[in-house]
Amino acid sequence: MNVGQILRSALLTLRSQKLRTALTLFGMVWGTASVVFLMSWGLGLERMIDEGFNKIGNNVVHIWAGKIGEDFTPALDRRELWFSRDDVEAVRRGVKSADIVLPESRGWYSATYGETMLSRDVRGVEPAHMIVRNTRIAAGRMISADDVRSRRRVAVLGSKTRHELMGAGARLGAKIRVMGTPHRVIGFLEPVGTQLTRDADEIDDQIWVPLTTLLGQRESPIENEEVIDIIVLRAKSREVFEQLKREVRPILSRRLGVSPDDEEAYILVSPIESLQNMPIGRMRGMLFVLAVTTLGIGGIGILNMMLDSVQERRQEIGIRLAVGARRRDVVAQFFMETLVITSVGGVLGLVFGLVFCLFLAGLQVPDVIPLPIVKPWIIWLALSVMGIVGVLSGIIPAWRAAGVEPSVTLRAE
Amino acid sequence: MGAAAAVTTPVVELDRISKIYASGRVHVEALRGVDLRIERGDLLAILGPSGSGKTTLMEILGCLLQPTSGVYRFNGEPIHTIKPDGLARLRGEEIGFVFQSFNLLPRLTAVENVELPLSYRKVGRRERRRRALEALERVRLGERTRHLPSEMSGGERQRVAIARALINTPSFILADEPTGNLDTRTGGEIMALLHELNADGTTVVLVTHDLAIGDQAKKRLYICDGEVQDGAQENRGDS
Repeated sequence: MNVGQILRSALLTLRSQKLRTALTLFGMVWGTASVVFLMSWGLGLERMIDEGFNKIGNNVVHIWAGKIGEDFTPALDRRELWFSRDDVEAVRRGVKSADIVLPESRGWYSATYGETMLSRDVRGVEPAHMIVRNTRIAAGRMISADDVRSRRRVAVLGSKTRHELMGAGARLGAKIRVMGTPHRVIGFLEPVGTQLTRDADEIDDQIWVPLTTLLGQRESPIENEEVIDIIVLRAKSREVFEQLKREVRPILSRRLGVSPDDEEAYILVSPIESLQNMPIGRMRGMLFVLAVTTLGIGGIGILNMMLDSVQERRQEIGIRLAVGARRRDVVAQFFMETLVITSVGGVLGLVFGLVFCLFLAGLQVPDVIPLPIVKPWIIWLALSVMGIVGVLSGIIPAWRAAGVEPSVTLRAE
Repeated sequence: MGAAAAVTTPVVELDRISKIYASGRVHVEALRGVDLRIERGDLLAILGPSGSGKTTLMEILGCLLQPTSGVYRFNGEPIHTIKPDGLARLRGEEIGFVFQSFNLLPRLTAVENVELPLSYRKVGRRERRRRALEALERVRLGERTRHLPSEMSGGERQRVAIARALINTPSFILADEPTGNLDTRTGGEIMALLHELNADGTTVVLVTHDLAIGDQAKKRLYICDGEVQDGAQENRGDS
């Protein structure tokens, strides 16, 4: 028999066994679609986590001043700790695994525009905050070194603050009042979206002003001192994070006059650490197991149907053997039948899986729900596993049935 | 095989053929040392009650089953030396099967069923169709070529099966109770057809328990308890 004949015969058989064909097809479609979706969604989840951390900044590390925590220190020394500009400078000089070290101060202050007054997370920043925070300017410009030097009363607004404070009337150059004094709006930040970790309010809710401006206007907690609330660092890579912690500890302990073992003297937080603690590996493993199980169930379905089909058609096999079919002719016939089912089911499953992915991508879902990412290897994986399972489950029973003496197969009813 | 050899060599030669079915500890000797010669042009009836071993003999003759011992020569060639693919070719080209239950493929039309043996040989599509229609014509079914077996009477189905058996002009037609599922009149028609084919030169081997049918054969072989009855291969020596 040539391929065309075998194909015709296969289609004929499949058409005459509609229910069985439909059920098998369903198994194939379901299996392939689920695998495509699960794997893509898993990838999306990973990317979302990754991006979520990047939103707060590229490998950003925050150091917050704490308090002296050891029990035996005299009550007088149980003081709140704080950073000075010199502390920031010392960290900048001494920590080799960070390429950017910045001072930042912050507080909740009122912001007024027209009739609207809001309480906002106001950050005193320097130009390099743009880089560390991994944000972009949507309109206008970022606070410049000159703004910082001259203590200019200028402000850059996060996207939500912009809408909630200024509404439709938002424009550059407008005056808003921050901490009671007028500030000129010089820039708007692009929306950042949900940050998976954050130090206070999300960037979208913040107002950025020059660090010097903020320090000059707020009442300092320590008299005649410029108090820096946070030291913001960017680690050169995720890998050097542990080294960075080891480098920071002796410098800050010495400068703050606390024991190097004091865990409460300052708090070092970073999304890198959270990322390292996230069970991403386990999640990936779980999705993989789910996908493999789904594929397995689909495969068993096909295997079962082909076993059944071969069993039911043993007499047909016997007749074919009696009129001159070789073992491989019989196998070729069943191979073609499963190949047709597998191809149709695989392609349909692929289409359903992709359509579902696209459908999800088109929905206006909150950005805490990951969108699936389809990669070619996922398609190949799903198709090849389904293909191999399908084809093997067609060949093996037929190979065995056609291997016994024709008299036995022929007598089967 | 040359024409000269064909004249002298019997189509089938069985030499002390035995078949033992072993199932666990139980051994059933279905055939005990059967000798048999089938000459070209024969019309041989193998007769015996059910359980006599005649079905086993039929299956061995049809290369559907291997004997436990003994030598089976097909056109002079011992079949135990033939590989499985060779046996498939033998079944397809040299032996035409006619079964009691017709054994047509239910999803194929009459002409497609007749074509089936050719589809396993390298025969072009058009040639297949031409020869299948010719074979159907020969069994006088030229009108019902596009029908499915389920749309045909028992006699018609058996004629389709005979057409299928004829299509490769086999060395012999092996008919296993060909009238068993048919009424007397239709059975008679089928027998007449087989006689007609034999008269045209086709070797026919009938396996039956029906003595009336056996009586119509040129030669008869009685088999009982797996053995050929003494002097049972009789020659009616007609024609």
